[in-house]
Amino acid sequence: MSNLSIEILSALDNAQNGYINSLDTKNMDGWLANYTTDGSYICIAAENEANNLPIALMLDDCYARLQDRVTYVTKVWAGTFEDYQTRHFTQRIGAEAVGNDTYKVITNYHILFTPEQGQTNVLVTGHYQDEIVLGDTALFKSKKAVMDTNVSPRYIVYPV
Amino acid sequence: MNAPEKYSPLVRWPAKVNEIPKEVFFREDVYQLELENIFYGPEWHPVAHTGELPNKGDFKTINVGERPILVVRGDDGDIRTFYNACAHRGNLLETRVSGNAVEFECPYHRWLFDLRGELRGAPGDDDFSPSYRKEDFGLPAIRSAEFMGLIFVTCSDETPELDEYLGRVKDALAITFNGDGRLKLLGYQKVLYDVNWKAYVDNDGYHAPLLHAAFKLLDWQGGKGEQYSTKNGHIGFESELKVPKDTGFLKDPTLLQFKGTASSKGSAIASTFPITVITKHMDMINIRFAFPRGVGQTEVHYGYYCHEDDDDEMVQHRIRQSSNMLGPTGLVSMEDASIFHRIHVGNHTPGNVTFQKGVKHEDRIWYDFKQNDEAGNLPRWEHYRQSLGFNREEA
Repeated sequence: MSNLSIEILSALDNAQNGYINSLDTKNMDGWLANYTTDGSYICIAAENEANNLPIALMLDDCYARLQDRVTYVTKVWAGTFEDYQTRHFTQRIGAEAVGNDTYKVITNYHILFTPEQGQTNVLVTGHYQDEIVLGDTALFKSKKAVMDTNVSPRYIVYPV
Repeated sequence: MNAPEKYSPLVRWPAKVNEIPKEVFFREDVYQLELENIFYGPEWHPVAHTGELPNKGDFKTINVGERPILVVRGDDGDIRTFYNACAHRGNLLETRVSGNAVEFECPYHRWLFDLRGELRGAPGDDDFSPSYRKEDFGLPAIRSAEFMGLIFVTCSDETPELDEYLGRVKDALAITFNGDGRLKLLGYQKVLYDVNWKAYVDNDGYHAPLLHAAFKLLDWQGGKGEQYSTKNGHIGFESELKVPKDTGFLKDPTLLQFKGTASSKGSAIASTFPITVITKHMDMINIRFAFPRGVGQTEVHYGYYCHEDDDDEMVQHRIRQSSNMLGPTGLVSMEDASIFHRIHVGNHTPGNVTFQKGVKHEDRIWYDFKQNDEAGNLPRWEHYRQSLGFNREEA
């Protein structure tokens, strides 16, 4: 049970909703806009995380890498992959203040994907470990997507 | 080795060596024959690298074909390989993919095995059959051998010794393992592709500059190199190291830097029959353990490694490069992953697939190729055809 105010929890939830909406609308510039300029993003399998193995599926440890992630999807890979639609479903399960308007937030996620042929399946499930800064705009200082799905069912184009 | 009568006449193998019948990519009966003649036949299959099992009691589970395998480092430091099944009633013994153990206990009837696979105890053995002897019921061992830390297993007693089996592809393997194989595990990327195992491993030198836009966008030219194949289906690529120029295309060009030592220069790919691919590109050392999940799916475990002598900076560089360049989300490999499913669906159409790039002969097999030839896969297909006993049609 969080002791944060309804207003703060609502702001944190809005940040998460904005993040997943940018991905579900394939708006990579919008995805980048969710981060602070010193932000980072890591997507890693739970198996690696549990065994202190650092290899990730995506490792954007600086803002330049986040920018390059946008370039991967919109320029490098454009036209080479069979596209798919994602739907993210999230549930905040914990949040705490860590000072300087920054909050650590744990959120479960469940992502469905629908390729062009139309059959929907589970892409991955897991949880986010986030640091969110609440200023004029709520932004992610860091986001780590830990995937329970250690064996992903296909290639992954868009961030999780 | 011959195919049972019911199989061979049904697969019409074309006369031209550069044509492959599409039906082998989706037929269940062909897949069952592949399991028997290839995965359980006289071939060696990489299942682990010693760098994954550094400590006594470390273990790993994986498949060869559809058979579960347990690889474990014993209390004496030796690595042993077993079928991952209780010697009693065949229950899957270890369900974890990796870990550290002091013993293995089957929960069904509490039979207990030590790290060397020997049976330590079985409840109620006073009432066992007259011929029962505890020493006969150790874990079922599977034949194994090692090259530069890479552990191979084979289900067959007829498989040649590993050194002879690998042949020339040992050269490419040595490059991928920094010359000595003293590697440490950095982690895995695992994925299940909707593709027959043969199409997964049928990637070629022809497609690389065409499918992967990153090479063009980064003005990344491949170095001079060569491709060679062996009669038993292995393929080696060796080329000089070429690092992409900083064209300003990426905001963080440090990802593309080469920080290796002189001894680790060069790029190499070693593809061992039937399904394993091992690569060294720039500072990424990658072993792709793979096995079929039925006729239409292939599971791939991309294992990434550093070298025991790396300093912290080098390790961090390898982690960044490996996490962002290869695998099912990698800058220069995501497109491979996305193409696999399309190949599998397309191969359900009638006829043959055809190889063209680098095909010098249509009536015989040869073994040396240019770097960007797709014809380098043909000796592997010939070994596959012979392994399954399919007869080639008359020209």
